[in-house]
Parts: sequence; C-alpha cells; structure tokens
Amino acid sequence: MSSAIELASAGCRVIVLDMQPLPGGQIFRSLEANMQARPRTDALLSALGPAYRAGLALIERFRAAPGIDFRPGTTVWDLRADGTVGWLRGNAAGYLRAPHVVLASGAMERPTPFPGWTLPGVMTAGAVQTLMKAGRLKPEGRIVLAGTGPLIFLLADQLRRLGVKPALIARTDRLGDKLAALKRVRPAGIPALAKGVGWLARLRLAGIPMRTGISGLQALGGEHLESVRLLAGGKNMDIPCDLLVVHDGIVPSTDLAHAAGLALEWKRDDASWRPRTARDGRARMAPCPSFTTGPCRIRITGDARRIGGADAAAAHGRHAARAILADLGRIARKQGGPDRTEAEVRRTLAARPFLDAAFPPGLAARLPDDATIVCRCEEITAGSLRVAIRNGAADMNLIRGLLRCGMGPCQGRSCATTLARLLAEAEPGRPMPPSPFRARPPLRPLPLGALAGMTGLDPALAQVESLDDKPEEIAGDDVHA
Amino acid sequence: MFAPIGSTEATMTIYLDGRAIPARAGETIAACLLRAGVGHFRTTPVSGARRLPYCMIGHCFDCLIEIDGVGSRQACLSEVEDGMRLHTQDGPAAIAGMEFQ
Repeated sequence: MSSAIELASAGCRVIVLDMQPLPGGQIFRSLEANMQARPRTDALLSALGPAYRAGLALIERFRAAPGIDFRPGTTVWDLRADGTVGWLRGNAAGYLRAPHVVLASGAMERPTPFPGWTLPGVMTAGAVQTLMKAGRLKPEGRIVLAGTGPLIFLLADQLRRLGVKPALIARTDRLGDKLAALKRVRPAGIPALAKGVGWLARLRLAGIPMRTGISGLQALGGEHLESVRLLAGGKNMDIPCDLLVVHDGIVPSTDLAHAAGLALEWKRDDASWRPRTARDGRARMAPCPSFTTGPCRIRITGDARRIGGADAAAAHGRHAARAILADLGRIARKQGGPDRTEAEVRRTLAARPFLDAAFPPGLAARLPDDATIVCRCEEITAGSLRVAIRNGAADMNLIRGLLRCGMGPCQGRSCATTLARLLAEAEPGRPMPPSPFRARPPLRPLPLGALAGMTGLDPALAQVESLDDKPEEIAGDDVHA
Repeated sequence: MFAPIGSTEATMTIYLDGRAIPARAGETIAACLLRAGVGHFRTTPVSGARRLPYCMIGHCFDCLIEIDGVGSRQACLSEVEDGMRLHTQDGPAAIAGMEFQ
C-alpha cells in the first residue's frame, strides 16, 4: 500500500493485485469493514488494540490516492522477471506486464512439523488472528498456545481482553535467550521491547499459566485433537485440549519470487529461504536458465523480502517506490548517504536483531522423528524421506518425483524447508539446496474455465505450443507501461 | 472451538451437505463453518484423515471443500454467498460426469 501511494502521488499509474477482498494485508486484515460495522465491532476493535486501528490512516490514503487501480480478490498465479504477471479474479484470468513490479506478498508462519500437527484442532496463531479480524470469532474451550515469538504474546493479550483464558502458554524460548539477546538491543528498538514486557506483565497478572523452554510437543487425538503432550522442566505434561495454537515465528513467502526465477538464499540461523535483493528491494535473477531475458523488473518489499513487521514493511515499500521513481527519472537519485526513506527502513528494523535472538525457532529447531508427517498434503513422513535420501536421492525435485513430497495442493509451501534440512542432515557440510522445489505456473489453482477464456497482452500467451509452456520473451511494447 | 465476538449479524444462508448455516456477508466460508462447529472440511486423498483449516491465509490448502459443485476450493479465501451449496470433500475432488475407481 505504501509503495502504491508513493508511486501514485508522483503521477504513476499503479495496478494493485490483492488476494484479499479489502486492502490491509494480514496485519490490518478487514480493518475497514470492522470500522464500518461499529459499534457492533467495538469489543473486537478494543481487543485487537491500537496497533491494528492505526492501519486505518494508511488504508484511507491508499483509497484516496488517484491513479491506483485496486483489484481485490485477485490471485497471482504466475510472475516473470520481465514484469509479466498472471492473474485470476473470480473466473477470469489474464496477463499484465509492467515496467516495474513490486512484490509484496508478505510472510507465512514457519512450518513446524511435530506429531499430530495435521489433526483438526491444531491451528497457527496467525489463523486464530485471521479468524478474529476477518471472522469476528474468538476461540473457546480448552486452549493451549505453544511455540515462540512476539505473536504468541500479542495473541494471548488479545484473547485476555476478550475474556478467553488459555490453559497454558508453552514457550520454547528460554530466559537465557532473552539475556543473550539484550546485547542486541538498539535504542530505536526499545519501544518494541517495552511493548513485549507490557504484554508479559499483563498475562502474568491475569494468571495465565506459562512455561518456558518446553520441547517435544505432540498433539494427540483420534479424529480431533484431544490432548497435548510436551516436555517442560524435564517432566512430561499431558494437557486435555480442544484447540492447540502453534507459532514458531514467520518466514518470507518466497513462492512467487522463486517461480519468477529470482535468486533465494538460505538463512542458516533462521532455517529459511529469503530472496536476494538490493537495499532498495531490487531482486536478482537466480543463476540458471531463465525464461525471460533483459533486466529484472521486480522489486521485493516488506516481509516477503525480510521479516520486519508492518511498520518496516510500510517504510521499505516507500523506499522501493522512491527507487522506482528515480529509475523513471521522476526524482533525483540521492547521492552519498542514505535518503529519508532509507533511514526510516533502518529505524523500523531496529528491534529485529533483539527479537531474532530472543525468539529463535523452537518448534522447528529439531528435525521431526521418523513417524512425523512432513508433507501435509501427501502425508509423507520424515522416515520415508530419510529412507529415500539414504538410498541416494540427493535432490529436492527428485524426491518430489519419487515420493510426491511437495506435489500436493500446497505445492511444497509446508514441507520444502523441512525436506531441505533433512537433506542437509544426511550429509552435513553439503551446501543447502539453493531453492525450494522447482515451481511452474500456475502457482495456485486456476479453474479450467478461466484458463480457456484467458485474456492477456498477447493471445499467443495462452497457447501451449510445446512442453516448455512458458511464454518466450515477447518483443514489442509494454502494453501497460 | 470458536464463538462469535458480539452478534453474528447473519443475513445469509449457506448449505453444507444440505444443512442450513447462517452466514454474515463478507465473511469467509472457513470462518462461517468454524463458527457453526463443523468438525472437518475434507478428508485426505491418501489416508482419509480429517482436516480443518490450519493457516487461514491460503498457504496450507487444508481448508479445501466443494463449492457449488467445484471441488478443492480454498474455503479460507472464498467469501460466503447467499444460497451457496457446499459439500464436505472426501478424498480427491470429484469432477462432474467423471468416475474414479
């Protein structure tokens, strides 16, 4: 949103494709609708807190900016480095091409395979927040929150305000992590730190049981979650439970960047991939045969580039937009030191080094045991993956072909990082796979009717002429420039 | 597992396997069905295990359901429409007019 506002304010024509029905992403999800529905939503808005309502100013500026063609409910199922974007809205699909593309596809929660994580009744913290914001629902019954990260505290505090008291908050992080992280606190990060201490104090005051340093999480039950088992303080705990909410931090959503042939890098300390980008978000092409030629027209911003939260995403979105305006010759390129928007990016990321150290990956820290499902879609266990790896399968795509791991409807979004780590486990010292499974469009389900009736910049784009069904580079003008 | 915050303001009706469920304009199918206490949206094609939504933002594809005769649609991304007919999906999506073993 902030990128679009900055570009439109400078006179550019901007098309915004958003999978959600309303602007605001996941952080400010349904904010507009919830504000309009007041006073019915007063209790909800009060529980979600001022940080949620603060998004309204940005949404209002986005709605008011002339020159923004906002297309809600639109799924992007293809992206190329030459600026070609495949879109789907309802049952209509087509292609757009732009001289500049800003990819702001956000983050996803870190996949955390543990025994029972596919049972009905196990959900992520983000899912519960989405159900609150967009569904106006609150969890009820016996609830356990497990994992790590600021979102656990934020969610618990929001639930407290709604009168929902979890049976237990089971944290994988330890006090030692916090003490070690303290040396990474920078002055600009202190407000975020104070916020966290405030959450913690209120949860303690509300008498919500909390354990730190837990491990060995298991969800138990037949057709639905019945109880949670975990190891805390050297002892097994069994907790009867209706809803297990898990969270292990968030990682960049790399599906679109990877499919566009952009380079990713493995972040060892975070056990996740992220795109390789310049400071202004400009993406780099992966060193492999590309389906397009010419310069890369994609910039990546927000959590899709680097996890930083809403403020950092808005700040970097503006910074990336300024870089595009400089490319277009609409503003002078800043010489020498960082410009205003870059300084803002740094300020908004100031708390990250502390947060990353204080809340290291916990649920996913250790690789799952053999009986645990890794690929949720095809129900492939870690054990069967280890057997395939021991038998010589040393490549992610080969394993996908052999076992169907990553071949289900989610297309490997939930299992790719775990499989990459299983490969590394088998052969320590070997470099991590440079990217997840090879991705081909459509990246998301595309109804056959939409495919058949596809419109685009070039009718030839819709024709499959060979097995290499990606369109070749198209000579000629940019229709949407 | 989930209860409404305040009144539901349901002005629509959707049908799951023939059962009428009140729905609020603008909510997703997934939110509506979870409020109604639906125990599973689908079973997996591999083992027949029951699934409910896991991520709610379109990544995990565990919320797949049949919407107005089209299978494997993401309930967490689709908004309710008055009179919508949903079916719990057993295993792989059915294709109208086609039979699998």
